[in-house]
Amino acid sequence: MRDLLLMLRVELSKVFSKWRTFIGFIALGLLVPIIVVAMRAEGVSYFAFATQAVKDVFEFRGNLLNGYTVALIIMSTMFVHVPFLATLVAGDMLAGEATGGTYRLVFTRPVKRSTVVTAKWIASMLTTLMLIAWLALLSFGLGIPLLGTGEVVNIRSMITVLAADDVLWRFAWAYGIASLGMMTVSSVAFLLSSLVENAIGPIMTTMAILIVFTIISAIDLPIFGTLRPLFFTNHMIAWRFMFDDPVPWARIYTSIGVLVGHIITCFIATQIIIRRKDILT
Amino acid sequence: MSIIELRGLRKHYGTFHAVDGLDLTVEPGDIYGFLGPNGAGKSTSIRMMMSLIRPTGGTIRIFGKSIETHREDILRRIGAIVERPDFYNYLTARHNLELLGRMSGADVSRGNLLRVLGIVGLDHRADSKVKTFSHGMKQRLGIAQALLHDPDLIVLDEPTTGLDPQGMKDIRDLILSLRSEHRKTIFLSSHILPEVELTANRMIVINRGKAVVEGAVQDLLNAGRLKVTIATPQANEAAVLLRQTHADANLQVADGVIVMMAERADIAHIVGHLTQSGISIERVVPVRSLEEYFLSLTSEAANA
Repeated sequence: MRDLLLMLRVELSKVFSKWRTFIGFIALGLLVPIIVVAMRAEGVSYFAFATQAVKDVFEFRGNLLNGYTVALIIMSTMFVHVPFLATLVAGDMLAGEATGGTYRLVFTRPVKRSTVVTAKWIASMLTTLMLIAWLALLSFGLGIPLLGTGEVVNIRSMITVLAADDVLWRFAWAYGIASLGMMTVSSVAFLLSSLVENAIGPIMTTMAILIVFTIISAIDLPIFGTLRPLFFTNHMIAWRFMFDDPVPWARIYTSIGVLVGHIITCFIATQIIIRRKDILT
Repeated sequence: MSIIELRGLRKHYGTFHAVDGLDLTVEPGDIYGFLGPNGAGKSTSIRMMMSLIRPTGGTIRIFGKSIETHREDILRRIGAIVERPDFYNYLTARHNLELLGRMSGADVSRGNLLRVLGIVGLDHRADSKVKTFSHGMKQRLGIAQALLHDPDLIVLDEPTTGLDPQGMKDIRDLILSLRSEHRKTIFLSSHILPEVELTANRMIVINRGKAVVEGAVQDLLNAGRLKVTIATPQANEAAVLLRQTHADANLQVADGVIVMMAERADIAHIVGHLTQSGISIERVVPVRSLEEYFLSLTSEAANA
């Protein structure tokens, strides 16, 4: 345990000494304020557009364009950019050592390879979680002061209106499930990082996997229907169910199980690969 | 107890045998030269000793323990440079040493880091990022990281590559002082033969993954025929006499100097024969460079 904490300290020190680690935080730091300010300026027309299909049936009253709603909109964009930002760090974790020739330095220290891999994996996951926390902090920290609080209107296949005092616990769960989704993406990038000697490969391959799985999941054919439950991309979006009423807990627990399964599988596979790896770089 | 014992060490990549049944023994206090041409299997052997790659066969025992079963215990007592001195270029020299030192359980106080950087002459660049370092400076930093945790065994793979002549001398002096003052055992892989000749007390020459010869450096230098240089104002007369008695000496004369091959034990007879024949001799220099020896051994092995 002492070795693991020591190695974690070393890995975090390395991660936060790299410029690429901050790209994700800077990107979110620019993107979220732009969305919040834009929503404050033109959110009414955005909301009118989003509810266009049901405007003849429903009448919306109250402060529906509020900080909570904007936080939900921002969360919906996570699937687009946060996976890429997360893989920037995870994809470089092991491949970066190969590229720099520093595997030789690390693996000639009196620390087990498995401890090094575990520390690197934890550092990747912590960085990913910090990204999600930063996203949440920005969404709520800017959204609530600028737009206030209120009911959340969740428009999917059905319209759900959630009372203001009923949303915070849902957000907490949603961020937790979204974090698991992003940890899955990071774990895939981490696994791929153990196989190659250049960080670009794992980053691009992870994004390619995400895109391919997402496209296959979106095509409504019976053959894809049987495959869909196996794709982690299909479970990464399970956080959205937290804003349904009632919450479909069985489906959420299934998704959590699948995501955790993927994370554990990737972690164990990486351990086996590194344990057996001949360091030739 | 030997410090390093390799027995029947093998590493095969398909049909290519990078290391093929290597045996060697390094005793406490040795500066052990590990010589061989490029591709001889030196770095592969070191990587197996340092647990970076798995042997195909054979055993590696360091400090009397198997590297397979006591990896961490052994690595705690070894400082090493394995091939190129690569570091985290985005960190400073001191930060690099601090991280590597932590992993090795070394004292990573600022004072100790600066002390070790001072040993290799880098204390004035402690807070510079490694990406600004020349190859020679990285090489010195490599030695610093190997010394940081005060190991009993230091494994140096081509430690003077990229250094200027003064830098090479500094490293040689450092290697000698590590043994004489700090009682370290040093495993020195090199293709720079004078480096081994000037520092090592024992050595092995390997080629194509196999040992060609192993022993004390001085014994190996004294074995077989030497190149003997004889300076005399009567070089031509002396050459005539010597050609009669040493027809196979490959004798050459130039600018009043005779160069010939001879057994060490025969040198006194040659000098006596010349002086008794009235030839005055200014100097006799028997030269046995490791380089010649090395080249003869490796070419013999290659032709075998």
